[in-house]
Amino acid sequence: MIEISNFSFKYRESDQPVVSGIDLTIPDGAFVGITGAAGSGKSTLTYALNGIIPHCYPGDFYGSVVIDGLDTCDVVLTDVSQVVGSVCQDVDSQFVTSIVEDEVLYGLENFGVPRDEIEGRVSRALADMGISDLRDRVISSLSGGQKQKVAIASILALNPRVLVLDEPTAELDPASSQAVFDLLARYAREHGTTVVVVEQKIALLSQYADLLVIVDEGRIRFADEPAKVLEHSDELKRIGVNCPRSTTLMNRLRAEGLYGGASVRNVREAREALKEVLA
Amino acid sequence: MSSFLEYVPGTSLLHRMNPVAKLAAAALFAVACFCSSNLVFLAVLLAVGFALAATCGMMRPAIGLAKAVFAFSLILAVVQILTTSSGAVLVELPWGYIGTGSLLAALTTVVRLVAAAIPLFLVFYVTKMNDITNAVVKVLHVPYKYAFTFTSTIHFIPLFMNDMKGIMEAQTARGVEFDAGGIVRKVRLMVPLCVPLLVSSVRKTNSAAIAAEVRGFNLRGVASGYKEYPFAGYDVAVMAVAIALVACAVTLGIVL
Amino acid sequence: MIEFDDVHASYEATLPILKGVSFTIRDGEFVAFVGTNGAGKSTTMRLVNGLLKPDAGQVLIDGVPTTELRTSELARRVGFLFQNPDSQICCNTVREELLFGFKALGQAGPEADERVDAIIEEFGFDADDDPFLLNRGARQLLALASIVVLAPPVVVLDEPTTGLDYRECAKVMDIVRRIHERGTTVIMVCHDMEVVADYATRCIVMSDGTVVDDAPTFDVLRNRDTLERASLVPPQIVDLSFELARDMPQLAETAVARANTVDEMLAAVAEEARTTQDVERSVCA
Repeated sequence: MIEISNFSFKYRESDQPVVSGIDLTIPDGAFVGITGAAGSGKSTLTYALNGIIPHCYPGDFYGSVVIDGLDTCDVVLTDVSQVVGSVCQDVDSQFVTSIVEDEVLYGLENFGVPRDEIEGRVSRALADMGISDLRDRVISSLSGGQKQKVAIASILALNPRVLVLDEPTAELDPASSQAVFDLLARYAREHGTTVVVVEQKIALLSQYADLLVIVDEGRIRFADEPAKVLEHSDELKRIGVNCPRSTTLMNRLRAEGLYGGASVRNVREAREALKEVLA
Repeated sequence: MSSFLEYVPGTSLLHRMNPVAKLAAAALFAVACFCSSNLVFLAVLLAVGFALAATCGMMRPAIGLAKAVFAFSLILAVVQILTTSSGAVLVELPWGYIGTGSLLAALTTVVRLVAAAIPLFLVFYVTKMNDITNAVVKVLHVPYKYAFTFTSTIHFIPLFMNDMKGIMEAQTARGVEFDAGGIVRKVRLMVPLCVPLLVSSVRKTNSAAIAAEVRGFNLRGVASGYKEYPFAGYDVAVMAVAIALVACAVTLGIVL
Repeated sequence: MIEFDDVHASYEATLPILKGVSFTIRDGEFVAFVGTNGAGKSTTMRLVNGLLKPDAGQVLIDGVPTTELRTSELARRVGFLFQNPDSQICCNTVREELLFGFKALGQAGPEADERVDAIIEEFGFDADDDPFLLNRGARQLLALASIVVLAPPVVVLDEPTTGLDYRECAKVMDIVRRIHERGTTVIMVCHDMEVVADYATRCIVMSDGTVVDDAPTFDVLRNRDTLERASLVPPQIVDLSFELARDMPQLAETAVARANTVDEMLAAVAEEARTTQDVERSVCA
């Protein structure tokens, strides 16, 4: 379980805190989507989860972030990393090797995973991301989607209990974005891993997340099931978060008294709801 | 396609050799080049370098590299021509003369530098960066931090070159004439672009450092590497040949 | 006018990227290129401004083959916004950045200064800001402005909204729409089908180095065969309208089956709900 209580952070070079008064509890095995406008502080929130704050960026840290009883401020970054695996935003610069297999090996070697377990973990992580055939490839020759999967596999191999990803599909086309989310969701289900994804594409988050967190100007504005959060499409729009169009449509129909059900998360739900309206 | 200094997969003998043996042999090869001033011997070494490149299918990058080193060594050669006055007088200079000896010395410099550079660079094309780091740490017990710094510098060169290419293209598309005129002009146009390159480099190295740290960079020690790097018969043989080359170079220097 | 005539192109001889691409874009059009990563869209864009020359076939800009012009000369006719604004921005202030293109093209002067002032006003920039301290969205806007200020007849945008949030995206795209309305030909590569549907009037669909469809935007987005072949995800309302018409044949001839936007769908559904009620009422009566 992850417990963030009254967390605020101010980077040393800025005069205002980026996030403040954050309270958030994430149960084990949840799939959490975090979104918000640019500069809302959503990335900072992920840095707090994976220990990059306070360990890599200096600044003023208030409150606490406790992961499975481990206060991220009390331990060194490496201890946090054993529990929380992080995939950073810029995949190209996070690769430390040039071959897919070596990249997956890297963390395993560092964390001292026993030799006889290593091979199994490497092949399983690659299989989990559906990239077993890329094992011997040179990373720079891969497509954006493939690179993203390699980056995720290299973290999955470490069997993290929590997985934190910062905009994993920013550079990907819709089909590959969907594929990455499908793989993540399946992996999390099978392993009971907690997944926290920061993402601009709210349609994807609404589809996959159990808990949707909307950050606005450094504070959590909403944290609830996607269908509940999406009820507030007008306010979301005002704070720079655009709902899926099918959600907007159904919310407006509700406002006009033509629809009485819950907010929809995707086209399929909208279709079923509309069938009833039009029947 | 591989970019500058980037590993190209393959199964040639050079690919399969022990990374440390490769590095050592290439270094010895370079030492041999610098120990000798015998033009014939250096020419032979140069030919050997190209032959090595041919055995692992790296002829194209080797020629490209040779050209680059050649261009660089020409500068040294010109200095040498102007400052070494020896042999039969060809051109009189206010402070001496350019003679056949000056030309010969300059030629030797060029051949030596090109010959010394080829195997060294070849090592990076036929060895995974990771294997170099791990082998150097495991076999030579070099502290991992230093090995990592070195290899990530090399690892970043293609990324930066890619950035630079992107920046130059973006500027060309805005009308900056990178595609016209000579090298001097190009370099002058490039100077203002160093700012964006620097900005992106700093950003990249910073996120690379963090990415390595969250994957246990600090825990890595001599024994961490999963792969072993044993020396095979041919590794020993190649290093023996390289030592023989150095001996040869030194002997030639004494005898002739 | 931009003409591609059976264009083949590659970065290495052994790996063809474009395999015979033909199309014509007339002055004043707003065309979106869509398709998965690796379909050849960005390569096509690079051919338009001459960064890449065709291996075979011809790319003609206003009747002149790109092989006869240097890219820097083509810059007068084709403005190019790259995916990453950071590869474009290189000056210390916003004003210098906007003047940079004029200098490169040898057109600096009072007229250029006037244009820069107008653009700063229109985009709402602070002329003395340091571009490197702006956030991602503002840098993208500045990169766009530094192209727009040169008023090229054609503007090429390579994924102009990637990495931007909803507000930034709307800001960038509204400016693109404005320059299009002033007569600029706009060609963009875009993965966000909602953006494509909102702005582009024509869609060219690429897959594996070839053009698989080329038609008015909504004809393309309603063509299931095309979407399937190019692995495209249609805009939500289009998708919804298609599925409703499929599942409820009685709607096939109504506005629901033609609705492309939220507003259209809203009106169509309201209309249908009203007629259904009327029918029910008349049945009761």
